[in-house]
Amino acid sequence: MKITYIAADGTETEVNAREGDSVMQAAIANDIDGIIGECGGSMMCATCHCYVDDAWVEKTGPQHDGESDMLDCAASEVKPTSRLSCQIKLTEELDGLVVHLPEAQI
Amino acid sequence: MPVETANLAPVDETITLRDLHFDPYPIYRRLRAEAPVMRVKAAGRTFLTKAADTKFVKDTPEIFSSNDPNTPMKPAFQAHTLMRKDGAEHMAERMAMAPALMPKTIQEVWQPLYRDLVGQYLDRLPRGEVVDLHKELSAPIAARILAHILGIPEASDEQMIFWSQALIDGAGNFGWEPGPFAVSDHANLEMNALLEKAVERVRANPDRSALSVMVNAENPIPMSQIVANIKIAIGGGINEPRDALSTIVFGLLTEPEQLAETRRTGKWGAAFEEGVRWVAPIQASSRLVTEDVEIRGCLIPKGDTVMTIQASANHDEDLFEHPERFDVFRAKNPHQAFGSGPHHCAGTHVARRTVGAVMLGMLFERFPGMTLPDPSVVEWRGFGFRGPINLPVVLN
Ligand code: HEM
Ligand code: FES
Repeated sequence: MKITYIAADGTETEVNAREGDSVMQAAIANDIDGIIGECGGSMMCATCHCYVDDAWVEKTGPQHDGESDMLDCAASEVKPTSRLSCQIKLTEELDGLVVHLPEAQI
Repeated sequence: MPVETANLAPVDETITLRDLHFDPYPIYRRLRAEAPVMRVKAAGRTFLTKAADTKFVKDTPEIFSSNDPNTPMKPAFQAHTLMRKDGAEHMAERMAMAPALMPKTIQEVWQPLYRDLVGQYLDRLPRGEVVDLHKELSAPIAARILAHILGIPEASDEQMIFWSQALIDGAGNFGWEPGPFAVSDHANLEMNALLEKAVERVRANPDRSALSVMVNAENPIPMSQIVANIKIAIGGGINEPRDALSTIVFGLLTEPEQLAETRRTGKWGAAFEEGVRWVAPIQASSRLVTEDVEIRGCLIPKGDTVMTIQASANHDEDLFEHPERFDVFRAKNPHQAFGSGPHHCAGTHVARRTVGAVMLGMLFERFPGMTLPDPSVVEWRGFGFRGPINLPVVLN
């Protein structure tokens, strides 16, 4: 399945991702610069912050328990579309997903 | 049981704690190449030295628990602290302190204060003569800003430094000698007395410090855990930024071209990341194995304690070119100096936004002609925690 990461400067990168991985894991596996994921997906670092593209917000669903508390710790502005990418699991439905990356993660 | 024993990790009887204390890096290089899962007899633990393994262990708390009741941490802190808990309990105690440590609060409150404090501490330093920057700057500034962040500004630099060292020495007292616990008991008495008054103060006058947000929370965690959290932050929030600062300054002063380029580009944040990668202030963390598990073909039995050596992960040839060299301008720097998983350092933003974003730039701006006359006199120590123990520079 495919995911597109759009960096803060507008650069788009489309990658092949595995179902079952998180959007953070897919970014790390494909060397996407704008996502760090320093805590490995434990919702403890907020260095995997992303903005889900408006067209995909419904499919990615609501934030998980505790996610908004950790998003408060993000380095860049938090918007209504903000998510921790480690909390978005890739399902078939999300094939083609587009996420935007913030200016900074740390 | 020949089959079972054949599967256990090899045992090393040659490595000594003394070797690890003085210079662990050549040992880790050998282990990464020859036996990345190794039972090291002197430490009584299974060493994991590859980055993928240290990360796997920290990211898998279901198998590798932090809840190890058999460590000297409990007597040292006189508490069962969040660092030694798992699951929801850990999360509740950790999040209670989070508002004081998050980027927004740092930007609004701690960074402006830190700038003022750094200015004052730099003013005190003498010019034109040898001064031990580690002792005269790295340690006291780390103590001062932390005292404010935690909500105990009435504690002196000396007290903070003494408490922190007492807690660390107690928690590392695996020989269970009475001496270090006597010292940590004394430190606990002093901290408890000071905290009792500080709690009243923040109740009456709430502010954005860790103590205040915990005490004044809508659903506060128990007072015993508030106190334990403050102690964990004292034990874990002074020596690391201190050692990080001294390490980075050493790195930059011994690589003048990189220093010049860092000044030109203002990439102090990259210098910070490289310093903590190069010599991780916390070098190793242990986890208790709660079920039989296999790593790289070796059976790690339930009940074993593994040491995830992030110092070694940060030099793993799979991830880093010329890992032994301080190199600010690496294309990628996926270090594990702040750990990973549920216990990922709670103070990362503080460390990055004080030492990295403020201190380094101010220091080299104030003393553009700073020199390290003889790098060979700088001594490095530590197995669990590591850094230079002196940094004799001349400021100009
Ligand atoms: C360069 C500076 C620092 C480094 C390299 C560092 C490193 C670490 C590491 C590796 C851990 C994880 C230990 C484990 O997995 O068992 C940790 C935990 C922790 N650190 Fe830091 N630290 C730094 C600064 C700070 C500061 C300034 C504070 C306080 C404001 C702090 C507070 C904590 C706390 C509370 C924990 C425990 C987190 C938990 O168990 O959930 N650290 N640190
Ligand atoms: S990877 Fe740390 S919060 Fe997502």
